[in-house]
Amino acid sequence: MEKTKEISPTTGASSAPYPRGMPRSLPFDSWWLLVAVVVSAIIFLATSQPDPYRRILLFVRDGVTVTVFVTISSFVLTLIGGLIGGLGRLSKNWLINGIASVYVEVVRGIPALVQLFFWYYAFPSIVKNLGTTLNIPFMANYLADPIGMAILGLTFCYSAYMSEIYRAGIQSIPKGQMEAARSLGMNYFQSMRYVILPQAVRVILPPVGNEFISLLKDSSLVSAVAVPDITRRGREFMSATFTPIETWTMVGLLYLTMTLFSTRLVTWMERRTRLER
Amino acid sequence: MAPIIHIENIHKYFGTVHALRGVSLDVDPGEVVVIIGPSGSGKSTLLRCINRLEEYDEGSIVVDNIPLDTAENINAVRTEVGMVFQSFNLFPHLSVKENIMLAQRIIRKRSRQEADEVARELLVKVGIPEKAESFPSQLSGGQQQRVAIARALAMNPKIMLFDEPTSALDPEMIQEVLDVMLNLAREGMTMVVVSHEMGFCRAAAHRTILMDEGIIIEEAAPDVLFTRPQHERTKAFLSKVL
Repeated sequence: MEKTKEISPTTGASSAPYPRGMPRSLPFDSWWLLVAVVVSAIIFLATSQPDPYRRILLFVRDGVTVTVFVTISSFVLTLIGGLIGGLGRLSKNWLINGIASVYVEVVRGIPALVQLFFWYYAFPSIVKNLGTTLNIPFMANYLADPIGMAILGLTFCYSAYMSEIYRAGIQSIPKGQMEAARSLGMNYFQSMRYVILPQAVRVILPPVGNEFISLLKDSSLVSAVAVPDITRRGREFMSATFTPIETWTMVGLLYLTMTLFSTRLVTWMERRTRLER
Repeated sequence: MAPIIHIENIHKYFGTVHALRGVSLDVDPGEVVVIIGPSGSGKSTLLRCINRLEEYDEGSIVVDNIPLDTAENINAVRTEVGMVFQSFNLFPHLSVKENIMLAQRIIRKRSRQEADEVARELLVKVGIPEKAESFPSQLSGGQQQRVAIARALAMNPKIMLFDEPTSALDPEMIQEVLDVMLNLAREGMTMVVVSHEMGFCRAAAHRTILMDEGIIIEEAAPDVLFTRPQHERTKAFLSKVL
């Protein structure tokens, strides 16, 4: 691949032939070390002091499933919502562009927690009031599902951030690519699908990966709207047992494990899709 | 013979800049037209109007009896008009062969095998059959431009547009691209070429057009234009490039 050999300024010798894609600065892989430390800490605590650590683990186990489910569902929906929002932001149609821009600006200016409160408390009330006024029983008796509303809220919020990532990624592809595709007779969507997006995806993968990790962490906010995720289960355990130190240590370690694996997954995907330029 | 490209009184503004000031031009089937002129004269803009990569503000263009008005018609024209760009614009995420196959598969609805055969034939035609599996980044500029020509030809266009196809190339690679274009011209392809390659112009063009400040100043057969220019601005321009 590389035509020129890098000459190290200090030794004058050519640099050691690291395998492609390996980080050159690290003498050992710090990620494995960190994972090993975190996982063995969890195992050590759970075995050496089953009360309360093992009890905490068993208690929040359902919460892990909920957190993972909420995060992954919201993330997949965010990928779609962000694409629509990003294309809207790039649209030359002033109405579409205006709607997308207002959406992004409004959502980015309101805290995620407040948005979640809106979807969980305010939105169902609006639907109910509307149902009562218009005399539609189906709407008047509307009951919000906490997990559904939490996923909706996170998706609505994170799609705005994702829109900007898509927009920047698409804009980073030279204009000539779209022109070449269009000049071959492809319409806008075919050009996007076959020419622009495959290139943009490689550009936006790192920031999208970061969004996933942020989303995973921010999913703890849904504990405030009655979703029994890890954080909420932790809070329940703490108030029942009065063990704040142990509870939040364990909850923190669980989140850390998940984010560490996510980081690794993102790095792995980046490597796989690297563009041969 | 009815013209295959009929351009009537085109006006184009970039903001307050009046880039095209009423250009009319007819191109016959099989004709090779070379447009020359100083930079900023509107020659590339005119070329890009023919397949509507550039919108125009006034006037009308009809290509092969299809008026450039609705989105449907514009796409129909684009499938019949191949375009080659100064900066090649190959798709970097696709191999050479896939670059040539993509539009065939999507627009012409050809089978994978059929598109593959067409791609290989065209790579032989432009002289780089061994590069089928390479990626654009692994090719020289001249090779990339030849792939770009093959990609356009794969759609079986009736007309080929060339927008300064050799301007981004190192001198030693210009000829290999011009040779491919010369062969196309000899085969009877209708071509509109924006270029400063006077050698190509002499060898291939039926008609040379000099544009300046958004209008056609003068048009004639290349020998006539180069040896007996009528217009002062033509003389001034030719004295700089010949």
